[in-house]
This record gives sequence, structure tokens and C-alpha cells, in this order.
Amino acid sequence: MTFRSISLALRLTLSIGAVITLVLLGFGYAVERSIDRHFVQQDVDELNAVVDAVTQALAETQPDPAEQYLAQRLAGVLAGHHNAQFKLSSANGQLIYASSAAEFAGFEQEMSATDAISIETVQIWRAKERSYRGAVVQLESANGLSSDTLTLTVATDIDFHLHYLYSFRVYLRLMTLAACLIAILATWFAVYQGHAPLRRISAEIRRIKSDHLSIRLAPNTVPVELTELAVSFNDMLDRIEEGFSRLSNFSADIAHELRTPITNLRTQTEVALSQSRDIEQYREILYSNLEEYERMAKMVGDMLFLAQADNHQLQAERVSVNLATEVQMLFDYFEAWAEERQVSLVCTGPAVFIQGDRLMIRRALSNLLSNAIGYTAAGQTVSVTWALGLNNRVMIQVENPGLNVSPEHLPKLFDRFYRADPSRQRTGHGAGLGLAIVKSIIDAHGGGICAKSEEGQMIFTIELPKAYEDASIK
Amino acid sequence: MKLLVVEDEIKTGEYVRQGLSEAGFIVDLARTGLDGHHLALTEHYDLIVLDVMLPDVDGWRIVQALREAKSTTPVLFLTARDSVEDRVKGLELGADDYLIKPFAFSELLARVRTLLRRGIVPAFQDQLQVADLVLDIPRRRAQRHDVRINLTNKEFALLELLVRRQGEVLPRSLIASQVWDMNFDSDTNVIDVAIRRLRAKIDDDFEPKLIHTVRGMGYMLDLNSEG
Repeated sequence: MTFRSISLALRLTLSIGAVITLVLLGFGYAVERSIDRHFVQQDVDELNAVVDAVTQALAETQPDPAEQYLAQRLAGVLAGHHNAQFKLSSANGQLIYASSAAEFAGFEQEMSATDAISIETVQIWRAKERSYRGAVVQLESANGLSSDTLTLTVATDIDFHLHYLYSFRVYLRLMTLAACLIAILATWFAVYQGHAPLRRISAEIRRIKSDHLSIRLAPNTVPVELTELAVSFNDMLDRIEEGFSRLSNFSADIAHELRTPITNLRTQTEVALSQSRDIEQYREILYSNLEEYERMAKMVGDMLFLAQADNHQLQAERVSVNLATEVQMLFDYFEAWAEERQVSLVCTGPAVFIQGDRLMIRRALSNLLSNAIGYTAAGQTVSVTWALGLNNRVMIQVENPGLNVSPEHLPKLFDRFYRADPSRQRTGHGAGLGLAIVKSIIDAHGGGICAKSEEGQMIFTIELPKAYEDASIK
Repeated sequence: MKLLVVEDEIKTGEYVRQGLSEAGFIVDLARTGLDGHHLALTEHYDLIVLDVMLPDVDGWRIVQALREAKSTTPVLFLTARDSVEDRVKGLELGADDYLIKPFAFSELLARVRTLLRRGIVPAFQDQLQVADLVLDIPRRRAQRHDVRINLTNKEFALLELLVRRQGEVLPRSLIASQVWDMNFDSDTNVIDVAIRRLRAKIDDDFEPKLIHTVRGMGYMLDLNSEG
């Protein structure tokens, strides 16, 4: 199961939008709570002021003739507190005084009396379409009016506050919604704008075609997060361009290499047929043709081998190969030829087994040796040495005295059809595929190969995996 | 000796047939896989040369059918693709040898002769003789005209191969494979040098000349140079 991953812009916008919305909602809630609390505190202050005024009125009132004078004083309590109302009754429930609009029926029964009014002890109730906040307080009678304890019920009308809070809440929600929308839109726009370099790079990449492989992204013009992408993209292009040009050169080389023998064959056959000849001449022409065909067949065979290597179809068997035995066998094979060229062959190295495909390794070493012998002057020596390297590797060196090859040409030695000396065309040295084959064999073994040229010595070093000794009995 | 060649490519088939006929074999040529399949299962052949890529019934099916019918006729298959899987598949299905196109006819002929000889246990011979050349196999010695000739180990192996296959043209690749176990084409003229040195020891001071170069094909040991 694979899902197409959600667009980056959508993902970012959603997450940033969600965060902004949550923050704004939290902020709104906090503001709302704080205003509400502020109003409650205001109400509590007012109620306390009323209670204080009532207490004072009671204290200043003489016991006799109390009733009338007290009512006057209590009526004056509400001056400056026109939202508040109160009702004073004695302990046995007898009404002492009630402000005009007081409607406390039902409320008193529910409320338990408190000593002091605070945010925690006030209650809200509704009566006659209005909302009140109030409390019931027990007062000590200072003047022994009729009983010792009096009950004071105070309340203040909070409709005005509630109305204000309601409209504030609506306003706040609208503002939050608008802010969220603006924030999300702005985020989306910013993200879209932020992706502009991506679109620019994409447009640049779109310009790259097989005939314009030289185009590169400029890593210093893109945002720093994209530099690595640009650099690795450029690296990939480098590799593709190199492979591409090598491939097209290879095709051109193949065509060129085949053109020569085909021209020979064609001319020879045409000339031969242009007049009647004796049998011996015909035979000579056919022999000559046969040699050309053989050369072409060998080249095609080599190219097929390389094509297999390119397509990773070259599967190297993994067996233990005794290196010393293998080298000695190759020396036996090349001995006669080397002797004729007056080139001596020497080898030195410890007893070691390498892991690989016997036939392929033999072919690789054979190509290296025949190359070395072919380029060595009479009286000189070709030497093969090997030693254990790091990481369970065996390093094999094939060394021969020869012309110095300039360092920039060294890696090209492994290119197909490459000849260090252009004048050495077709002098029995194959088509210039030998070292390319060596390289593809070593690559198929996961090994390495390099060429070195110094002080008149040409050295090829190959590196192959070492085999475990116990697997050597094969 | 009767051979069957199954090859759909007209020119290749015709020339292979002609070449094998002229080498002394009786050759049937089938141009389609179906004909080949039918002939292989109904007639008796000493060897079958089989192209793998056939338009109708491919070479694998023919080998399979042949082996299922308990036939042990040697099969040499021709393939245009040198891939390991092809080779392994062919040999697993019961083919005996293979050649990759383009192949040299001399190579095909040599392989055909090797396969035909395989069933026959060679009479145990201590001595091989061609004209006045005598090979003492157990002691690995050669003499000509009663003169002992000093040969290296490989030179003796090369001479023995040429003598055992007297009158056959041996391609360089076959010599390299049989004497030095080098089973691939080498760029160099190592075989030519080895033959030249052998010739210097065997032929230079004696008559008649025994080792002959067959131009463009290989080498042959015989009393007269006409192959």
C-alpha cells in the first residue's frame, strides 16, 4: 500500500493553521475568564459595600425609638449602589427592612449564610427576567434591637455585565475566526512563496535533455536547505554525462573499428571479381578474408562480454583460486612467446587464495600479462607480485618496463578502444578492449584496479577479495 | 556417421551442412524447429547440432524431448547469446557442448569430432606413431628417425594433441583450451610461437614435414598438407 504523500504546502498550512487556531482560542478563553472574574470582583466589592453600610447603619441606630429611624437609615444605604438591593430580617424570619425591588423568595432557602462575601461565596439566580448575584450574611446586632442575630440578604443586578460579556464573547469569536483565516492564508502564501526556489530548480531541470547534459544547477543561488540537493543532483548529472558520452563514443568507435575490416573485405572482393583469376589467387583472397572475419568475430565477442558486464549480467562464481598456481599456469602459457621476445617473467608472493571466478580471473590476468609482455622491450623483465592487503584483500601487481604514460592518460587506459600510442593501430594487439575487459572482470568481483606509471615502470595493481584457506581444496 | 543440423538461418544452415558433408559426415538439415523435433525423435543420429533460437519449437524443447525419450545422442548447441544462464540452462537440459555465434567452422568441426569420440574408450596405447615420429606416452618422450627429441612438458602435450587428432584442423582456441586450459580467446599469437618452436624441433631437420599451418583456421599434423 502506497499513498501519494500529501503536498508540502498543505501539510505545512494545516499544521501551522492548527497551532495558530489553538493559540488564539486559548488566548480568547483567557481574556474572557479574566474579564468575567473582574466583573465578579466588582460585584463582590459592591455587595461588601452594602453590607458595610448596613452594619454601620445598625450600629449608629439607637435602640429606641428604633424602628422608624432605622428604616430611614437603611433606605439611605443604597445611595450610590443603585443596582444593589437588600433585605434584612431577624433570626426568627421577621422582616426588618427590604429595599423596594427586592425579590429574594426561594433564594434564601437555598443559600447558606456566610460570614464574609468573596468570589467563592457569591451565587447567581434569576428572578423576573433578570439575573442577580448575591449572598446571605449573618450580622451581630450591636444594639440588642430585638434579637441578637440578623440575616442580611444582598444582591446586585448583573444583567448589564452579562450583556456586555455576551457581546464581547461574540466579538472575540469573530475576531478569532478572522485571525485564523488570515493566518492560514498568510501561511499558505508564505509556504507557496517559500517553494519558489523548488519550482525554479524544477524548471531548470526540465531544460536538461540528452543533448544538453552540460547544464548544471548553481548550488550557491539556491536556499541553504537545497544546496545539498543541488550538489547531489549535479553529481548525478556528472555521472550520467560521463556514461552517456562514453556510450556514444563507444558506438562511434565500434562503427569505426568495423569500417576498416569491412572496407578491406569489400574492396578486395570487388577487385577480385572485376576480372577472371586463377584458383590460387581466389584461394589467397578467401584466406585473407578469413583473417579479417576472425578479427571481427573476436571483436564482437569482446564487445558482447563488455555489454554483459555493463548490464550486470556478468555473474562471477565464487570459488577459491590459488593465485600462485594460476600465475604459474599463465607463465607456462606465455613462456614461449616471452622467450621469443626475450622477455623474462618472474613472480613472487605468499601462498594465498583469492575468491572469484577462476576463468574470469585467468582471463583478466592473461590480458594484463599479454599487455605487459607486448610492451616490454627485449632483455627486460615482466614481474608479477602479490601481497595481502587490508580488509582481507589481495593486491596483485603486474609490472613491466615501458614508456611513461602521463597521469591524465592513466585512467583512460581502461577505456574501450583506447590506445596510449595512436600509431599502434591494429598491430596484432587486439582492438583495444583487453584492459576494458580486465576492468569489467575486476568490477564484477567487487575489486579495484589502477594503473601507475613512474620511472619507466608501468604498474597495474588489482585488488581482489581473499578466500578463506579452508575452502581451498577445490 | 550421421548428423542432424537444426538451423533456421538459411545461409548458416547450408554452409554448416556443406562443411560437415565435406568433412565426411552424412548430414540432414532441418530448417524449422518442428522438423528438427520430428527428425531428432524418429531418426537415429550420432550427433545433433542445434540452434537455440528457432522461430517455432526452440532448441531447449528439442533437447528436453530427446532426453525424456532416453536418447543419449550428443547435442551441441549454437547460441548467439553468451550469457551464463543460457549456458547453464543448455547443459542442465542435457546438451553436451555449446558454441557461441559467430563461431569458426574449424572450431565447430573440432568440437563435433571431440563429442563423437567421447563415447569411444581409446585403445590404451603406449606409443603413437606418425611416419617416423614416435611418441612414448608413459615416459613422455618423442623421437624422430630414431633421434631422441627434447621437448618441454607443454610441447609434448601439444604434440600429443596434434598426433592424436592427426588429419584434423585444430583451431588455436581449441589448442589453447586443451593444452593450457585457456578457455577464452587470447589476443596474442602465443599458439603460433609455441607451434613454431615445436616445428623447429620436430620438422626442421627431418622430412617429410608433419605440422602444417591451415591459414585462417589453425594447425594440423598429417603426412600430406592437404586437409
